[in-house]
Amino acid sequence: MAVTHHSFPQSGAAPRHRKRNLQPGQWLRLWISRVIIWFVIIVVLIPMWFVFTASFDPSNSYISVSFFPAHATFANYRALFQGGQFLVWVRNSLLVGLTVAIAQSFITALSAFAFSKLRFYGRKYGLMMLLLLQMFPNILSIAAFYSALAKLNMIDYLGSYILVMLGASAFNVWLLKGFMDSIPKELDEAALIDGANTWQRFIRVQLPLCLPMLVVIFFLTIVGAFGEYLFAGTILQSPSNYTLGVGMYNLISGQFAKNWGEFAAAALLSAIPLAAVFALAQKYLTTGLVAGSVKG
Amino acid sequence: MAAVAQTGTTSVVRKRRRKVDWVAYGYLSPALVTICVLSIVPIFYTIYISFTNFNQMHFTSYQFVGLQNYKELLNPHDPLSNLFIPTLVWTIIYALCATGFSYLVGLALAVLLNNKHMREATVYRTLLIIPWAVPTLITMLAWQGLLNDQYGQINGLLHGVFGLPRIPWLTNATWARVAIIIANVWAGFPYMMTVCLGALQSIPTDQYEAAEIDGATWTQVFRYVTMPSVWRISLPLLIPSFSFNFNNFNATYLLTGGGPPNSNNPFLGQTDILASAAYKMTLSFNRYDLGSAIAVLLFILVAFISWLQMRYTGAFQEVDS
Repeated sequence: MAVTHHSFPQSGAAPRHRKRNLQPGQWLRLWISRVIIWFVIIVVLIPMWFVFTASFDPSNSYISVSFFPAHATFANYRALFQGGQFLVWVRNSLLVGLTVAIAQSFITALSAFAFSKLRFYGRKYGLMMLLLLQMFPNILSIAAFYSALAKLNMIDYLGSYILVMLGASAFNVWLLKGFMDSIPKELDEAALIDGANTWQRFIRVQLPLCLPMLVVIFFLTIVGAFGEYLFAGTILQSPSNYTLGVGMYNLISGQFAKNWGEFAAAALLSAIPLAAVFALAQKYLTTGLVAGSVKG
Repeated sequence: MAAVAQTGTTSVVRKRRRKVDWVAYGYLSPALVTICVLSIVPIFYTIYISFTNFNQMHFTSYQFVGLQNYKELLNPHDPLSNLFIPTLVWTIIYALCATGFSYLVGLALAVLLNNKHMREATVYRTLLIIPWAVPTLITMLAWQGLLNDQYGQINGLLHGVFGLPRIPWLTNATWARVAIIIANVWAGFPYMMTVCLGALQSIPTDQYEAAEIDGATWTQVFRYVTMPSVWRISLPLLIPSFSFNFNNFNATYLLTGGGPPNSNNPFLGQTDILASAAYKMTLSFNRYDLGSAIAVLLFILVAFISWLQMRYTGAFQEVDS
């Protein structure tokens, strides 16, 4: 484990060597880089700005394009909350997300501990096998899932949906295992010498130390559950069971012009908190990813 | 030195042989049970269905039909064959373009951002990560609205501001494919950028200093110092993202729903990839048998890609610590 998680500077430019007087070549390169980056940022963010303005535009008409809505109101937001639908979607998504995230963190922590600190047959290739297995996403077994659920009369229950989403993610286990591998061995050995049993080594020593990564996995799982549509759209059919994904899909597909403003408002309301959570979690995740690949 | 390493490893091996923590299987059991029930059993059930005629007509009384479904999909003289082969070709093109362009854009931006004189780079990086941070579900549905050829704001901008003709983004087969690749690159480049930036920052500065002393030009430094490191770190992540995109019909399905319709194929649209074909066959047409057969063929393809990945990059390889 040559590279630890702390050895990557987070910021884009390390301000270590501050050189006030640049050579002409460097100055030119810097400004060309800046102009290109500004251009890319504008191109990348324009679609999002359009969604933002659409959410405040009460007319729902998109024949004319304005960078600022002429008569900005909260009409779309009011419409979204008036039916109460949006809150039902968020509640269902939160229920699914929290349940799955709690279960996922628990399962991931236990297996990562086993792969990182315990000795057993299958340790060497087990995780790799699971990772390869999950290259084939569950959704492709949709025929099996759908016919089994239909035969068991389990269609249109939030519980069935949660059940389908509960499966352990080998990727998360790999991520947390990489993090646990970087925890100094001496701590574990000290606990062993003090006569700690396996459960105490797990709960008292490893778990507190890898809590940051576990929190990242927890939140990423919630974000993932909010963004899932394919299983949700298959299993959940009555509007009272809709998650955010199904609700938003039904707002826009097929009846574009009618609900575009409401969709934009819903998109903005859900995107901002989810993006904020993701951005915070992603910092830790990326260093973990790079560290993991350096190691291999 | 070598001798020391040798004795070191053998003693570790001996220690491990002596002691196996049987309790480990207890810790693994929640993961193994859920993976068995939710991944492995469904895969075997899918394989089983693919050898039967299980569909809407035979929901309760289905029979074993052998390789019938595979023959229908793969035999070039069968009407269903124009479902599988063209979809496979488009799936490969889509996955290559989505992964390749995301990587190139991400790498280029990472190189530009990795400039020690650009002190505000963190701000740029944060802004550029936004498309990755917002869930695909929301961004792809938003793209669907923005790309609407009559009311969408993208055409509004191109036509109204720049005077270009209206582009039939989602109603013309070629443009729909272009739109899917654009939207996927838009959503995918920040991940590549972040990974490449991490790789660039992990290059020790003494390598650059040595190159400078040797009088290397900027392009030479890029070619011989920067790229090898970036390549070494990003390649193990590039192939998984290819196989991820290969199966990633979330974005495609939310953006176009597989459309526009295909005149010589009643089942699938012009932008359906194999994964969405399996999904649609099951849910829209209740052809569980064909859907399963497509999924099994896809499974074989993915297994092949994974094998290639293991063979050539050694990613995810277990290193004993």
